[in-house]
Amino acid sequence: MSKIPALELNDIHKTFGDVEVLKGLSLKAYDGDVISILGSSGSGKSTFLRCVNLLENPTKGEIIFNGDPLSLVQGETDLVAANMKQLTAMRQQIGFVFQSFNLWPHMTILDNVMEGPAHVLKRPKHEVRDYAEHLLNKVGIAEKKDMYPSQLSGGQQQRVAIARTLAMDPQVILFDEPTSALDPELVGEVLGVMRNLAEEGRTMLIVTHEMNFAREVSSEVVFLHQGLVEEKGTPSQLFENPQSERCKSFLSSAF
Amino acid sequence: MEFSVVISYFPRLLDGAWVTFQLVLLSIVLGAIFALPIALARISSSPLVRVFPFLYIFFFRGTPLLVQIFLVYYGASQFEVVKESIFWPILREPFWCAIIAFTLNTSAYTAEIFRGAIQAIPVGEVEACKVVGMTRVQMYRRILLPRAFGIVLPAYGNEIILMLKGSALASTITLLDLTGMARTIIARTYTPIEIFLAAGVIYLVISMVIIAIFKQVEKRQNRYLGPINVKVPDKG
Repeated sequence: MSKIPALELNDIHKTFGDVEVLKGLSLKAYDGDVISILGSSGSGKSTFLRCVNLLENPTKGEIIFNGDPLSLVQGETDLVAANMKQLTAMRQQIGFVFQSFNLWPHMTILDNVMEGPAHVLKRPKHEVRDYAEHLLNKVGIAEKKDMYPSQLSGGQQQRVAIARTLAMDPQVILFDEPTSALDPELVGEVLGVMRNLAEEGRTMLIVTHEMNFAREVSSEVVFLHQGLVEEKGTPSQLFENPQSERCKSFLSSAF
Repeated sequence: MEFSVVISYFPRLLDGAWVTFQLVLLSIVLGAIFALPIALARISSSPLVRVFPFLYIFFFRGTPLLVQIFLVYYGASQFEVVKESIFWPILREPFWCAIIAFTLNTSAYTAEIFRGAIQAIPVGEVEACKVVGMTRVQMYRRILLPRAFGIVLPAYGNEIILMLKGSALASTITLLDLTGMARTIIARTYTPIEIFLAAGVIYLVISMVIIAIFKQVEKRQNRYLGPINVKVPDKG
């Protein structure tokens, strides 16, 4: 484990109108950490994750990537990136997997996976193609590479989305409720892929409702309540011996 | 009814159709080129940038095409500056006046169609561009514009057909387009029904060709939507 966290978030606040959704959240992720973020809906966990790469602009706070703070300036209501170059460079190294997959529907599966490395990182096409095919093979959909997203099931689309993220060779991957939009019988295949990634030692931040999964793969679990960290610890600490009342009741209703 | 006039004047009607074709093709191509930056400015986050395309579109959508043609054709010659400028050889030709008016008009409509298509792209797909670290230019060039192109097709095909029919107004500034030619022939032969019917049929044929072309392009461009399977319920 290196001394500098791969990703450090300090005192993140986010206000929508009059509603303060995040009230000062901090988190550190070192290389190889798998951190699961739990909480009931409305606790701000997705908003928090989206603040990391500025899909959502925090109202206040600090985002530090590999010891390098992201320059932010005060916008109309929120903080905005001071330097778009720095932001895009950071985003290239932080993967993001959406709840609703968000594949580009007019492009084939293979083109979806190749787009980032080929046109953003500008790597040679043939290398990118080989790598994309390798990744599709890894997530188990190599034979569908020439199809379009609408021809795939939700679980398959999400696995493509994970391959698309991996194609960028990100240092950290953020997962925003990756299985919440899936039919129950398709959840397993996506979790299986994510489990493999965790075992490879990838650094991951996962917002999820899959308690068993979080318990098995995480190195750390964070429980959010009303925009604050209510409790955090190792999976065994948090799941077997929760301290706060809220965490206890959340877990008892979740299992 | 004397349909032999249709046969004897058919080559002249085709000459008119050729002028119509040139008018429509040139103005839609130029219109589309102008429409893109207008549409992009229209969705800019800066109100200062947004106001110009807004006024432009407001004017050209809100006034009749005929008035716009007259403004260019009769209006430009009112100014000595224009008459002495290098643009006069162009502005003195009714053909180019029609092209200018049509281009300005169709670019306003087309810009709105483009804007609608770009804004119809689901937010998630735009976010997917952001999270791989695309710049704004990359995002538009690689994903959003090609994606919008598929969405735009049905409405844009419609606009071209409207332009085809609107082009008949060019006959009011002495141009011998299909309508202008028909009127000239009628003035000579006194057979309005026959000649207008023939002109109408030619317009129909051109429309059909445009529709067929767009159907093909749509099929190609939107093949990702897959074949649409319509299930007919069993009669019970």
